[in-house]
Amino acid sequence: MATQHSRAAARFMISPSVLLLLGWMLIPLGMTIYFSLLRYNLLMPGEHPFVGWENYSYFLSDPAFKTALINTLLLVVGVLIITVVGGVLLGLLLDQAMWGQGIVRILVIAPFFVMPTVSALVWKNMFMNPVNGLFAYAAKFLGLQPYDFLSQAPLMSIIGIVSWQWLPFATLILLTAMQSLDQEQLEAAEMDGAGPFSRFFYITVPHLSRAVTVVILIQTIFLLSIFAEILVTTNGGPGNASTNLTYLVYAESLLRFDVGTGSAGGVVAIVLANIVAIFLMRMIGKNLDA
Amino acid sequence: MARMISSRRKAVNTAIAWSVGLLIFFPILWTVLTSFKTEAQAIADPPIWFNFHWTLENYVTVQERSNYFRHFWNSVVISVGSTLIGLAIAVPAAWAMAFVPGKRTKDLLMWMLSTKMLPPVGVLVPIYLLFQKVGLLDTQIGLIIVLTLINLPIIVWMLYTYFREIPVDILEAARMDGAGLKDEVISVLLPMAVPGMASTVLLNIILAWNEAFWTLNLTAAKAAPLTAFIASYSSPEGLFYAKLSAASTMAIAPILIMGWFSQKQLVRGLTFGAVK
Repeated sequence: MATQHSRAAARFMISPSVLLLLGWMLIPLGMTIYFSLLRYNLLMPGEHPFVGWENYSYFLSDPAFKTALINTLLLVVGVLIITVVGGVLLGLLLDQAMWGQGIVRILVIAPFFVMPTVSALVWKNMFMNPVNGLFAYAAKFLGLQPYDFLSQAPLMSIIGIVSWQWLPFATLILLTAMQSLDQEQLEAAEMDGAGPFSRFFYITVPHLSRAVTVVILIQTIFLLSIFAEILVTTNGGPGNASTNLTYLVYAESLLRFDVGTGSAGGVVAIVLANIVAIFLMRMIGKNLDA
Repeated sequence: MARMISSRRKAVNTAIAWSVGLLIFFPILWTVLTSFKTEAQAIADPPIWFNFHWTLENYVTVQERSNYFRHFWNSVVISVGSTLIGLAIAVPAAWAMAFVPGKRTKDLLMWMLSTKMLPPVGVLVPIYLLFQKVGLLDTQIGLIIVLTLINLPIIVWMLYTYFREIPVDILEAARMDGAGLKDEVISVLLPMAVPGMASTVLLNIILAWNEAFWTLNLTAAKAAPLTAFIASYSSPEGLFYAKLSAASTMAIAPILIMGWFSQKQLVRGLTFGAVK
């Protein structure tokens, strides 16, 4: 049914989406690149002289950049490990026969729907606060010294909060994948004398690889841009201890009003995200085509 | 041959799964409970579980002091508005790609997905300055535009995976019965496409409701949706746990309930149809 006529109609129907996305990508991107080559601070009115790579060398040589880069990596990898491992374990648990499975699923999935600012504030105040938080009460109850999570281990605490938000997502997707696993295959393996561990590693794990790939891809997209959780808990501090790349660029542009340096940082963030994206897309391509 | 599962084993599974589930859910439960306490009870040590004097006072205070409903309404307008506009743009595109696939349809879809890889912070500065120049900062329209664009790829992808499952043969049958193109679309295809469109709408409202990068950076007092409204509680004055809890409960309740109904679509939507 794909006539010349319908092809033209199809192109016409697709073009608004394509043009909008293209505009959304290219116009701001072009502006970011342009600004990144200027000396441009909102606090200093007047000319914006062209300065070439100055903003880049300033941004890249700032020790905060190295810290932010490492923090970004730790945040992404830390949350990925916790959520994927936790998600597999929880998925296995929820895949068992039990009473009230639907309700347990609802309980487990709930954190995913909590907006980032709410979950960060609830954890920060009602759990991690060293004076009035539940963790502090629990520590005192056990005769231990309360621990000030967000000032003594800020990045770890944020990893914990973000993992709580994303664990449901990983669990739900891995559980869905597990439920599509052919039970007869598992039973046949059991009849042939395969123990629970070899059944898990030789049948379940290969079956899950596609779902795990998808979880990693999607979570990485979101985790590279973690922002709200940092803003409302630590403001990137103490010092730069919990500043990631997104937060650093935000601070340069909207707190220090340095449009030039902020834009250079934005370009760096885009380049790094693209490196990750190419890597991921290749991995995904391999896994999804199969 | 189904395996028999002893009820003892089932009981053990049940106990473990419920404990883990309640543990994960606990922060939400605790927030809801705290929202009904007085400020003094909210920080009592040892913590009070259920045995307190339940009060609605915090909800009243939150509404009076910071005008919760205004921000709630901003959230509704922004999330529903951006979803519906996105849908209007995406339906034709997804429709064409699903029913008249070309050689480059797959590439086009992958390219759309790749726009999601663009870190928002990379375009924060120009968007902020542009919005400042044309007066879109701190407006509902401004946020609707941005959220429509960032969620468009997801909407197209989701719709595409749903539309592709509509059997095309049914069109042939309708044509044999003498249906014109208009009848074809309205009475044959549309009814089959509606469930997919509904799930797409649901998922995107959830995503837009919880979006926190652009809402925090592009709004102030006027157009702030709930994500940004709650952030104002990050610099507390005096005792505020109970009020924070009440505000939080009101911010998450509507979407939590919607989310529970859309569990199944969630997996499919967020994995771009790769996991069903």
